[in-house]
Amino acid sequence: MTISKSRRGVRIIAATAAVSVAALTLAGCGGPDAGNAGASVQAGSGEGTINVWAVDGQAAENDALKKIIANFETSQNKIKVNLKLFPSDQYTKAVNSAAPGDLPDVLDFDGPTLASFVYNGKMAPLTGSVSQESLSNQTDSIKAQNTVDGAVYGVGMMNAGLALWGNKKLLDAAGVAYPTTPEKAWTAEEFTGVLDKLAAVVPGGKPLDLSEQYGFAGEWGTCCSAGPVIWSGGGTMLKDNKAAGALDSDANVKSLTKFASWKKYTDPNADGQAFPNGRVALSWVGHWTYPTYKALGSDLVSIPLPNFGKGTKTASGTFAWGMGASTKNGAASGKFLDFLMSDESVRIYTDANGAPPATKTALAASSLYGPGKQLQLLGDQLSKACGPEDQITETCVSVTRPVTAGYPIVTDQVGKAEAAIYAGKDAKEALSAAARAIDQNFADNDGYKK
Amino acid sequence: MTTQTRNIPAPAVAPAKRKSSGSLTGHRFAGPLFASPALIGLAIFLVAPFVLAIVLSFYRVQLNSPRPARFVGFEQYTRLFTDPDLSAAFGHALLNNFTFAVIVVPVQTVLALALAVLVNRKLRGMVVFRTFIFMPLVFPLALTAVIWRLIYSRGDEGLLNAVLGLISGGALSSHDWLGSPSTALASIIVMSIWQSVSFQMIIVLAALQSVPAELYEAASLDRASKWQQFLNVTVPGIRNTLIFVALITTIFSFRLFDQVYLLSRSGSVDRGSTETVMTQIINTGFDNNNVGQAAAMTVIFMLIITVIAIIQRAAVRQRGGV
Repeated sequence: MTISKSRRGVRIIAATAAVSVAALTLAGCGGPDAGNAGASVQAGSGEGTINVWAVDGQAAENDALKKIIANFETSQNKIKVNLKLFPSDQYTKAVNSAAPGDLPDVLDFDGPTLASFVYNGKMAPLTGSVSQESLSNQTDSIKAQNTVDGAVYGVGMMNAGLALWGNKKLLDAAGVAYPTTPEKAWTAEEFTGVLDKLAAVVPGGKPLDLSEQYGFAGEWGTCCSAGPVIWSGGGTMLKDNKAAGALDSDANVKSLTKFASWKKYTDPNADGQAFPNGRVALSWVGHWTYPTYKALGSDLVSIPLPNFGKGTKTASGTFAWGMGASTKNGAASGKFLDFLMSDESVRIYTDANGAPPATKTALAASSLYGPGKQLQLLGDQLSKACGPEDQITETCVSVTRPVTAGYPIVTDQVGKAEAAIYAGKDAKEALSAAARAIDQNFADNDGYKK
Repeated sequence: MTTQTRNIPAPAVAPAKRKSSGSLTGHRFAGPLFASPALIGLAIFLVAPFVLAIVLSFYRVQLNSPRPARFVGFEQYTRLFTDPDLSAAFGHALLNNFTFAVIVVPVQTVLALALAVLVNRKLRGMVVFRTFIFMPLVFPLALTAVIWRLIYSRGDEGLLNAVLGLISGGALSSHDWLGSPSTALASIIVMSIWQSVSFQMIIVLAALQSVPAELYEAASLDRASKWQQFLNVTVPGIRNTLIFVALITTIFSFRLFDQVYLLSRSGSVDRGSTETVMTQIINTGFDNNNVGQAAAMTVIFMLIITVIAIIQRAAVRQRGGV
């Protein structure tokens, strides 16, 4: 979901990592035992200095984080925090190449990278260090993201969600009544009719923005475009760790073909201004555009994504906090994480970046996502968590992306298939090819099982 | 350019002769010493990575994975040629590279020559023209790609569609240049030529200015027309430079990456229609983290390029060139 933050960097990280992996392989040395070492957390004295690694995010986010840390240090005098910010394109590499002893006590991570960090033995389970109160205050959708093989490895301050942003003036001009709750989401058929009506009132005749400027052939496609379509149509990307029979199912073929049929209503949005400029009436994008879109004032409405048969679905999950696998300061780290999850800290942080809070109490008190507020729909959607895709029901809304160390190949292939289908390729063919590529890669890596 | 390339073999031969004659023994190490920076550079940045690629191509290596690399022999190669998905994708990427080269090499070389002849005229304000023609090369590609995405954008938003619509009175106005598989590669070719033709132009321009003016004077005394002068004085005079330009354009065509990456990855474009071998290698190695497979692709690609380079050299030598 954190498109802007993580996508570009991944390749550079990977390039450097390739060199280091190659060097290790050639030298014939195992290097520091990177894998499966099992967490060796020591509670420690509960005081002293803890090291914290975080991604260098937007300036406002960094300032908020520093302010929270300052608050933490003044609230007590036993624990000091040594914060180290990494450029976002270096972060995954830094964590992956750190020897167990060099890992920090507390670290930031992006949702989809957690499974691979756990697989590589970088993370420690939080139970016992972080208070039960903090853990149970996590909203279900963020809890699902941070749980690997039944153990909780992370706690989150913020979440992320998707919606159709609507321009009320244009919707009214076309005489379109719009749903305001997930239960009443338009069906895909109804949505086509809505687009027909809206096409008559928008200047260019193309009333929909599907955020093509992010590119479908990548993380945006998988998490936020193909993902909700697949899940809402009753399909999944993986089933029992296999893509064949899941990703290329008839349900997915049908849903994605339907999705591609909306191309003729879609503004390519190459300049990213289609919605704020009033060229389109509906925009399929995440909460992060709110600061730009709020220029519409009271004309800005949030609408659930279309329902392809099994209820509207949105992706969820973003950066969260966990503990290094071999921290010697488990107790102090737990206290710091508890402080991060306090209502006041979550409020400071989410006010800075506009994201939906990921703790129950902060979400209820949110001035944007709380009950009766402008983005209540996004807040509601996040409280109706499905968990991972194999637990999807008709009524839940927020789905966690596949939690597997093989996520890089899944996201690459699903995005690629969606882009091909959208460009007019046969859906069955594109999805089958993607499923074969994913399964081959999983087979080569023993299913990414420990 | 000509003098440089002609001189290259000479120093290589000379020291050998000296050594055999037994004189100048005090300078025995001078040759290797002076060559060492270049040799070390080549070894580190060319030989080592390639040897590494060959070794990696025999393993199953996954990036960011704690699983040790597993020796699989020729499996990566057999997959590349027998797996229907992989071989089709790799073949298609190769085909895209060849299509690109077949169109771009002649068009860009001729265009560079034409532009060079144009800016070689002694007209008032020619410096300004030269600057403008050279401009595309000065701006970073990542920057100009943003503009080209707007130009190629589908619907009336696209600048190209808007212009076509204006000319045709609205008949042609909504083609999806990058999204449609039939025009995606062509769009990249046009953008690529626009971006890099000025580089070739500068090289040709330098060569044009080194053609002696006396030759033109003699030709005009012989009553050769401008066109005849061009064919019989200019072209032979810069022949070696043109061959050089064609050679480097071929090399650029095969390592085609940034244009495709920037134009098609960011839009909603079917990757298959514009995939080149380089983008596919990067995608396999660093998006799918499948380093072993990517290494095998690199090795095969290197072999293909080597064969092309040998053929090209042989063809050029036969005609007594470089």
